[in-house]
Amino acid sequence: MKKMLALLLAAMMLLAVVPAVAEGPVEITMLLEGNNVTDDAAVLELLNPYLTEKIGVTLKPTWGTWGNFDDLAFNAVTTGSDEYDILFTCSWTKNEYAPYAKKGAYVRLDDPEDDLLAAYGQELRSALPDLLFEGAMTEGPDGEKGIYAVPGFKDFATMNTWDVNVTLLEKYGYTLEDVKNAGFYGWGDIFAKVKEGEEKDGSVFYPFIFEGAVAERNVIGTPIVTGDANSLLSYYMNVEDVSTPGAYGNTFVNKYATPEFEKFAKQMRAYYEAGYIDPAIAIGETATDTWRNAQNTANYLISSEVSLYGYEFTTSEARGIQVAYLMTTDAPYIDNTSVQGAMMAVSANSAHPEEAMKFLNLLNTDPYVMTLLNYGVEGIHYNLNDAGEVEFVADARSTYSPWTNGLGNVTLLPPQKGQGADFQQKFAEFYAGSKKLPVYGFTFDIKPVETEVAAVTNVKEAYALSLFTGAVDPETALPELLSKLDAAGMQKIVDEANSQLKAFLGE
Amino acid sequence: MKRSGAGTGIRGQSKKTFWLTTMMLPVTVWLLLIRYLPMVGITMSFLDYRLPTRKMPFPVNLLHSPWVGFKNFSFLFTEESISMIRNTLGYNALWIVLGLLISVTFAILMSELTRKFLAKTYQTMMFFPYFLSWVVVAYFLFAFLDPTNGMIVRAQKAAGGTVIDWYNTPKYWPYILTICSIWKNTGYSTVLYLSAITGIDRSQYEAAAVDGATKWQQMVHVTLPHLKPMIVILLIMNVGKIFNADFGLFWSVPMNSAPLYPVTQVVDTYVYRAYTSTGNVGMSTAAGFLQNLVGFICILTANSIVRKLDADSSLF
Amino acid sequence: MTVLTGRAGHSFRLNQISRRAEVCFHVILGLFALACIIPFIFVIIISFSAEDSIRTIGYSFLPAAWSLDAYRQVLSLGDALWRSYFNSFFITIVGTVVSVTMCVLYAYPLYRKDYKFRSFFSFLSFFTMIFGGGLIPTYIVCKNLLGMSNNYEALIVPMLVSPFNIIIMRTFFQTSVPFDLIEAATIDGSGEYSTLGRIILPIVKPGIATVALLTALGYWNEWFLCLLYVTNRDLYPLQYLLMEMQRNAEFLARNSSMIGAAGAEAIRTLPSQTMRMAVVVFIVLPIACAYPFFQRYVVAGLTIGSVKG
Repeated sequence: MKKMLALLLAAMMLLAVVPAVAEGPVEITMLLEGNNVTDDAAVLELLNPYLTEKIGVTLKPTWGTWGNFDDLAFNAVTTGSDEYDILFTCSWTKNEYAPYAKKGAYVRLDDPEDDLLAAYGQELRSALPDLLFEGAMTEGPDGEKGIYAVPGFKDFATMNTWDVNVTLLEKYGYTLEDVKNAGFYGWGDIFAKVKEGEEKDGSVFYPFIFEGAVAERNVIGTPIVTGDANSLLSYYMNVEDVSTPGAYGNTFVNKYATPEFEKFAKQMRAYYEAGYIDPAIAIGETATDTWRNAQNTANYLISSEVSLYGYEFTTSEARGIQVAYLMTTDAPYIDNTSVQGAMMAVSANSAHPEEAMKFLNLLNTDPYVMTLLNYGVEGIHYNLNDAGEVEFVADARSTYSPWTNGLGNVTLLPPQKGQGADFQQKFAEFYAGSKKLPVYGFTFDIKPVETEVAAVTNVKEAYALSLFTGAVDPETALPELLSKLDAAGMQKIVDEANSQLKAFLGE
Repeated sequence: MKRSGAGTGIRGQSKKTFWLTTMMLPVTVWLLLIRYLPMVGITMSFLDYRLPTRKMPFPVNLLHSPWVGFKNFSFLFTEESISMIRNTLGYNALWIVLGLLISVTFAILMSELTRKFLAKTYQTMMFFPYFLSWVVVAYFLFAFLDPTNGMIVRAQKAAGGTVIDWYNTPKYWPYILTICSIWKNTGYSTVLYLSAITGIDRSQYEAAAVDGATKWQQMVHVTLPHLKPMIVILLIMNVGKIFNADFGLFWSVPMNSAPLYPVTQVVDTYVYRAYTSTGNVGMSTAAGFLQNLVGFICILTANSIVRKLDADSSLF
Repeated sequence: MTVLTGRAGHSFRLNQISRRAEVCFHVILGLFALACIIPFIFVIIISFSAEDSIRTIGYSFLPAAWSLDAYRQVLSLGDALWRSYFNSFFITIVGTVVSVTMCVLYAYPLYRKDYKFRSFFSFLSFFTMIFGGGLIPTYIVCKNLLGMSNNYEALIVPMLVSPFNIIIMRTFFQTSVPFDLIEAATIDGSGEYSTLGRIILPIVKPGIATVALLTALGYWNEWFLCLLYVTNRDLYPLQYLLMEMQRNAEFLARNSSMIGAAGAEAIRTLPSQTMRMAVVVFIVLPIACAYPFFQRYVVAGLTIGSVKG
């Protein structure tokens, strides 16, 4: 009898969801990333009547946090749930854009048979730069390239930089130019002098505190290969002109097998042994905390940062020192990873894809909707000052602060206090000067070599951070790593990536 | 209540069976729904999992997912995996034996204390580790071993001795991990043994004492035989988890430090890294299934050995 | 272990261990117990440390400066804090009562040698201790089939049965209930439920208390179910409040090179380390206070002087 019951229940599971008959406005559910929102009543009270009037929908947001978004989104896509009509997605969350577009989790927005973008997203299409849609092109379940999510209009180009504590630097008679001219391989003297000076009272001072993976990117000039979240591959760009390929042409190489990498690792080792590098940034779970703490307490000389426009002002003020960012390429570069850094996809299981598209269109083109959702209600969560800048009300803001970049077109927002009235214009101009990487648009699909990636990642994890930070001696560790990588099938991954790239460039 | 002729007749038998079976119902329903029904998911180990959709909801999507045989298992069998399997089995075997010895000893010691208040206090204190997550324990340890400010490191510096680079030196970690594991789990299993001792009829000790048995002899002849079923059961169940490792212990406590992997890499951390690198649910299901299968075989073996030695103590 | 062979010769210490042995036991147990509590003391110290102290000298038993900020921050959560306290208590109490009842009901027939389907049901529960369907299918069954989403059921039902506890409970029956007792009761014509309730249960009180303790601890510490099935903040248990803070910090740390400067801003607004430790204190204290209640049954009657039962 119990087995019968179980069978019966199993049969119930198979029944398709009965779509509700739409009466009145359609409720659009949306899962967002990175928020700190505990009370959205005031916002929705204003937003929903407006949305109903404009496009006949109401919005029901689920304010995911950094801590729970991955699980909520992953469960939703892998179980085929219709819980959310719209999902945040990007290149670094668990519902990663490109692989899940390929698996069929998202609706193709420019489907020739049912072109939602053309039908309901015309304004959106023209409001966002073309290159964003170019970067959003990815393969779907049918193998055809298409747009599977609306890219966020934000800082879409990557700026890998060295973060320099200019105040401390000048205390010891150096200038920013000295740091720039000496370059990574010539900082030894500066480190030595500053370390000695700062340790006079018997305390310990580490001048060089950074994020291992970013330091490697800075020194060697290797952007993240989109799809290679495990940083196994390197693409060498030409740091003098990022729109042309670097030393190895348009190919991918094993990140750890180049002479450039060996030279970098040896230099890091030298700095580490000299005591310039905080050993805590070489330990997986303490690395980020240590690095961020050093920055926030201005307890460093040179650090690393993936920066964005106008960030010097923010950090200089927050840290009480003069901060400068030395960009390591000639211009900010546009790659898929940065363009796919924040996107909004319509769930393939949504019962209301048209309405969802209408809403996304409005969110990315209507300053009222965007501002309301992002900054809250004027008079409750923020006030506008005479310069037209937003000043937040701390109390109200503490219960309503969504993650701005995770929502959409940030250029619709009024400037925040201190940014100046012409902030959005300058922002747009700055990023207009960025350059596309020669392999822009390419995404590595690891599916054919999954088994190798799983094994190789486990090998590489045992060495990468230590090599990036100089905690192990590359003389012994590097050959060991390379032979283990070989045994785990690294070459197969490199070959697969290159053949995919060839096919991509041949198109 | 009607007397039914000593209740041993056939009607009495079936009535008894009926009433006892009704006791099983709530758990049985729960098990069927929440444990057995999802077991269709084990097939994911052999499939290239396709996402369910509205037209093809779970578990129909499983029928449409391509069969890939043992491909999802292959990442577990590389040159690297030898050390992770060795670590998992080695730590587990050691900790099962050590844990058993220590917690049985502690339970017996505690049962012999005459000051009940202190016994209770110890017991309460021993449960505290259970509340602290491994992340908190890791911070605690870091306060001692931190390469710059750690208390041990500072003491070493002050003494002018060589400073140990704890998070880059694998040889200390088997000991540290063992201490952590014992520290965390002893309170839990001690309470199980202690309450088993509580259940022993006191008159047996008195009888033994009258016969002139020393405390040691009482322990060997009264306490241990009564503890035997609990010891055997816990042992069998631990053997079933011999291929599983406490993820938090092996990941957080060594602060996920790369140079320590040779002694901290276990099946669960290996699978986690593989899984996050590919996002393939088939691979993680396959790994889990294999772990369970190994555990199952171990339990069956252990159980049949126990059954030969002492049928009453066996699990089933 | 020679200390154990203390003579039982002193008349005033009838069948008790010698003084010397007892002192020795106290040293061993006391030291271990101390080791168990020190990390928690460490947590308390950090919760009272100034955040700047952690930034500059790291975690330490002797912070550079003390501060009550962490507790102010926790208390400023206000309603959210008290509601999650209520949720934790509610889930733990209801979950433990239902779970232990089900466990005893299932374990009792398993102990009965004369029960016909004993081995079948034994295997039925044991098998699920080893094999499971994995996260995704379980999630689908619980959420879509059984409707566990944003309600208390979702936080209670998936943990109701623990095959481990069933086996432990059965072992308690085996070690403390002589089978003659049941035969005697049957001859007296006692029904199965009344035999269990009136005769058996009082004997296995220590076992029930132990299983109840383990179950209650499990519910009190639980946060993963909340992560899976609950997005409504009104239902968050206390442990999840803490885990949310922890996981926010971990996620941002792990993905900082992807999120870049935006992530740096997010990190800055996260709850401080000291606040997280203060929440740990809030979590541990109530259950530590409740512990002696369970303990009464476990330690009672341990020493020779007291009467059993």
